[in-house]
Amino acid sequence: MNTSGKDIALWFIQNFVWLLAGAFFVVFSVTLGRMFFNLNNLHFIFYVSSMVGMLVLAESIALISGNFDLSVAQNAGLTAMLTGVLIVKFNIPGLVAIFLTILIGGILGAFNGYFIGKRGLNPFLVTLSTYLMFDWLTYVIRQTSILDLPGIYMFPGSGKIGGIYAAIFIFLIAAILLFLFLKKATYGNYIYAVGGNPDATVMVGVNAGNVVFWVFVLSGALSGIAGLLYTGYAGAITSTLADGKMFMAFAGAIIGGISLAGGRGTATNAVGGIILIGIIEAGLTMMMIAPQMQGFLKGVLVFVAILINQFRTSFRKRLLMPS
Amino acid sequence: MQEDLKAPEERGKEVSEGAGSEELVKMEGIHKWFGEVHALKGVDFSINRGTTVGLIGDNGAGKSTLIKILAGLIERDRGRIYYQGEEVEIESVRESQQLGIETVFQEQAIVDPLSVARNIFLGREKVHSFGFGKIMNDRKMLEETEELMEDLNLNIASPDQEAEFCSGGERQGVAIARAMFFDADVLILDEPMRALSVSGKEKVEEYIKKARDQGTGIIYITHDLHRVYPVADRFVFLSRGEKEMDIRKEDCSQDELSKLYRRGEE
Repeated sequence: MNTSGKDIALWFIQNFVWLLAGAFFVVFSVTLGRMFFNLNNLHFIFYVSSMVGMLVLAESIALISGNFDLSVAQNAGLTAMLTGVLIVKFNIPGLVAIFLTILIGGILGAFNGYFIGKRGLNPFLVTLSTYLMFDWLTYVIRQTSILDLPGIYMFPGSGKIGGIYAAIFIFLIAAILLFLFLKKATYGNYIYAVGGNPDATVMVGVNAGNVVFWVFVLSGALSGIAGLLYTGYAGAITSTLADGKMFMAFAGAIIGGISLAGGRGTATNAVGGIILIGIIEAGLTMMMIAPQMQGFLKGVLVFVAILINQFRTSFRKRLLMPS
Repeated sequence: MQEDLKAPEERGKEVSEGAGSEELVKMEGIHKWFGEVHALKGVDFSINRGTTVGLIGDNGAGKSTLIKILAGLIERDRGRIYYQGEEVEIESVRESQQLGIETVFQEQAIVDPLSVARNIFLGREKVHSFGFGKIMNDRKMLEETEELMEDLNLNIASPDQEAEFCSGGERQGVAIARAMFFDADVLILDEPMRALSVSGKEKVEEYIKKARDQGTGIIYITHDLHRVYPVADRFVFLSRGEKEMDIRKEDCSQDELSKLYRRGEE
């Protein structure tokens, strides 16, 4: 294959998720007509995707660093509940509460980061424990919903800017910043390096344990923001705020081509992954597919994504390996 | 151990490199324990500018432990380290690098998903500094990598190529290039020929000779005497945590050295 042909093939491989999202969009638009293919529907797909999208970003950064985080959704739920209780008890202003949400999410993430990065414990076991702890602690703190929340606090998840949900802007800004941070900042480079080869990274003098610690802090802060957006979406803080979203966070990242082996993947393709899921969810709902069947089909989608990723990796290798 | 093994030099004794050759590193009475295991038992070691020392021994001899101490990856339990005559503490890889010691740890020192340029500058990236942080200067890293590749005759398609798609010899070349770029005074090479093709081995030999000619002191760790003999000026044998021999090349032919090595390991 000549150079330009190879470049085009590489571009298609790297951006496959966007092509797939486009293909599903066309299929549903043709099948469902104006019911699917209208601006309101697209707007709503992006809005719903932006919340779980924050969790996808949180998961993606953990995966790129060669780890993973089972507790992202539970972090979002617990962070929202803790912030809500503090707002009610101390009458905290909305803007301060927003920063508090990010801080609490980061602190919960730091718990994971300390034991995984600094103490070398297995990320699966640590985040499985914190998944359970965060999940049940939310119920321990409060089982009833918190409804009376400041308007400013609700704005990120429910307000609109120029007719477009603020959550979409927040998610897109977070995704772009994360993309630039990973690609351009030295610390972002270390995250890829730690994910790609932790031993080599240590050998050149980078403190890999520290890098992993901060990855989980960042992942936690992003989860906290997800909790904030879900609060606005639900109009209240409930003890089941982001239940079951952990699997979607994983699915979005994997469909978006983030490598489970670490060191590879981009935040923008993870966004593509979650938009693809959003399009399929919306399409299936409008086709009146039963929720249980939708759940099954999402499982099929993740499985197909794994196969596609495997094919994509080997095809890319074949293209780039010197003959 | 038989007595004649001490010839031609007394066992474990330091060998002089001759007048005019500046001593870069001197390690004295280095001890290291891993729990109950006494991995290094008072080892002395030195390296001079513009020389290559073959550090030889079987698995478990203590070679890797000794160089990991020098590279700042682990700390010694007892003993002293001198760098250009001054006693130093080396507690991290950064401190070792700041002194001028660079280590090439076999193939695992390369990060596959990163480009060749980013591998070379990993941990010491060229950056644009802003008040709030540092942004990598990819263009500068690519340009300098290109120059370095030319200098070392490293024929990689592009400095932007992912390291995963480099051959074994090229990967080793990248690791050595990284060490040379930062003007290492002491270059530690851990089994640099492992898993290389014949042409890859020849290329690495070339890099070693070039670095030595530029005045670098090279520590070449291996258990393959046959490979190290052509490039080294001196040979230090370790066995079970102790220095067994320290011999200059001019005092010993390759055959004699092989015999001494085999008998030392019996």
